[in-house]
Amino acid sequence: MTAAALGSLLPLPVALPLTGAAAAPLLARLSTRLPLFVSAVALLGSLAVLVIIAPTVYGREVLSHFMGHWTPVRGQALGIAFAADPFGLTFALVCAGVGTLLVIYTLSELGGLGARELGGFACLFQLLIAALIGAALTADLFNLFVWFEVAALAGYGLTGFFLERPIALEAAFKILVLTTIAGFGIFIGAGLLYSGHGALNLGQLHDALAAHAGTADLVALGLLVSGFATKAGLVPFHGWLPDAHEAAPGPVSALFSGLMVNLGIVAAGRLAYQVFPAAHVPILGALMVFGVVSALLGAVLALAQDDLKRLLAYDTVSQMGVLAIGLATGTASGVAGSTYHLVNHALFKSLLFLCAGAIVHRTGVTQLSKMGGLAKRWPLIATAFAVGAASIAGIPPLGGYVSLSLIHHGLLESHQYLPYAFMLVAQVVTIAALGRAAWLAFLRPRSEEYERSERLHPGMITGLAGLSVCCFAFGVVPRFVLDRLMAPAAAGLLHAADYSRAVLSGSGRLPETTIPFNYTDTLELVVTIVSILIAAAVATIYLRVKEPAPIRLLRAAHTGSVNDYAGYAAAGAIILIAALNWI
Amino acid sequence: MILANYLASAVLFCAGLYTVLTRRNLIKMVMGLSLMESSTYLLFISMAYRSGSTAPVLLSPPDGQSPQQLAHGNAADPVLQNFCLTAIVIGVAVTAVFLTVVVRIAQHYRTLDADEIRELRG
Repeated sequence: MTAAALGSLLPLPVALPLTGAAAAPLLARLSTRLPLFVSAVALLGSLAVLVIIAPTVYGREVLSHFMGHWTPVRGQALGIAFAADPFGLTFALVCAGVGTLLVIYTLSELGGLGARELGGFACLFQLLIAALIGAALTADLFNLFVWFEVAALAGYGLTGFFLERPIALEAAFKILVLTTIAGFGIFIGAGLLYSGHGALNLGQLHDALAAHAGTADLVALGLLVSGFATKAGLVPFHGWLPDAHEAAPGPVSALFSGLMVNLGIVAAGRLAYQVFPAAHVPILGALMVFGVVSALLGAVLALAQDDLKRLLAYDTVSQMGVLAIGLATGTASGVAGSTYHLVNHALFKSLLFLCAGAIVHRTGVTQLSKMGGLAKRWPLIATAFAVGAASIAGIPPLGGYVSLSLIHHGLLESHQYLPYAFMLVAQVVTIAALGRAAWLAFLRPRSEEYERSERLHPGMITGLAGLSVCCFAFGVVPRFVLDRLMAPAAAGLLHAADYSRAVLSGSGRLPETTIPFNYTDTLELVVTIVSILIAAAVATIYLRVKEPAPIRLLRAAHTGSVNDYAGYAAAGAIILIAALNWI
Repeated sequence: MILANYLASAVLFCAGLYTVLTRRNLIKMVMGLSLMESSTYLLFISMAYRSGSTAPVLLSPPDGQSPQQLAHGNAADPVLQNFCLTAIVIGVAVTAVFLTVVVRIAQHYRTLDADEIRELRG
């Protein structure tokens, strides 16, 4: 097919789940589980369309399509553009693929709910996936804001899905307040950029900003990045994230952590590279600071948690920090590593949240201190959890090893030794936190029986097995993934001028880039082994001692008051804007 | 003159943010957020305005002018006004969700004090 014909397929991956979402509450009247079956079909359909365009896009050809054929006139775009570049397409593919597995899992875990609940669930679920795919493919700033808001609205609904549980209500109120404020930031930022340059198309904005980025543009950038950092859950915008994950059912936490938070990182990456000239604006430095702080604080807070899902949620904050660090290196290795880690994180974090959800659903216990001996009772869940945790820890045959060593390589290549050291510390604490959780929940002997204990259903096994296999798949063929998928993705971000030309002219090619990667790099293997050993020691010590004072203080700062969290976020935004303008 | 609009919008935004940061009552926080939202509309409408411009409505132009003349003449920027319309629609939906959650919280906790609703922390 020609580029134009392939480009005209671009709205379909969004339109299919949107249609499914609209139909879901109606279908629930026909049969209770029908909406979920239809969601699986809609998401598979959208995955199929994305796979059809994938060979062309990963062949370094950027496809673009203007809605209603409102094509640019003399370089001025009025219509809304969708553009598939390798970076966005990677995120879209992950959303459709992991989303399908999550629906299959939900079908067997929550399939016993009533018609109204399942109809609503399927509707919100598809709405969220549609918004994520839309945000991945759009090349229009205001359209990006709209997808952000659609994702936010679906997210509110899913957080408060079990309206009977008081903590779900509390979490829903927090996510509402913080995301609404983030939405204002993105809205005003988009408006400021438009009134300054008369453009919303990302390609057109890139051309305008490459010439000159003034104070108003930097204020707009600060507002936009603060808004998307809230979605990504970077410190200090993260107040909503642990609460929302703790209150939501397992598949919803998996959806939030594996897919939704990435929207923030993808958008921030696009803004930093494809819209603003990263070389002339201190945005990469700002992302690096956010990344390092989030990676460290998230890991430390994860170590201190007693609630399994809350622990995993804080680990998400930490991993989002790692993604931001990778993007902020400004090197091809770092950016490719970050994209790679985005895929890996979606896989292993969904897997871990499904395991946690399955445990909570099966035993009714949420606290680690009350768990134990789960490895004997549910060896399958234990294996899946081990695969996910090993992937985060960066143990070689799994995906995490490749992406982490690429980010390390990017940091060393650009001589950023301090962030490198911080990242290693965060990595050690992360492994310790997961090791502690694995010991307390799975390995620790426990004599008494659980009150409830159910067996696993086939759909749940499919979900867990599918994600585990993917965790391995992305680790064993790194060369293939790097050359075919990640190198083009990095090229799309680093060669923004080519992206912008491609968006405005209908299609265009990205230049070749190669990412060096050596599986048996001695330094990397030593770093992995040493960090696992130190982490084992840290976890053992932490299990014996009382909570140290710095961690207690840090936890005390998370007061649970939504006013405080909004205050942290507002302060973060003000500091970011000030730093962008005066540093 | 238009400077007054910008100032008013900034004052409204800060007042809304102040409410969200300092008031513990959930309804007051929702009102604060609504205030912030309205301030962004005022900001956008003001940014769309150009000195002496007319409304960007091309149907039934005033006597002696064609729609083309109007389009090429001095009209306010319709794109920013469109932003506002989109944001108003989204804002209504968000406020509806907000109030639903607040009603449910009131039913469960029998209070609207944010300080008493913080089971999730640390």
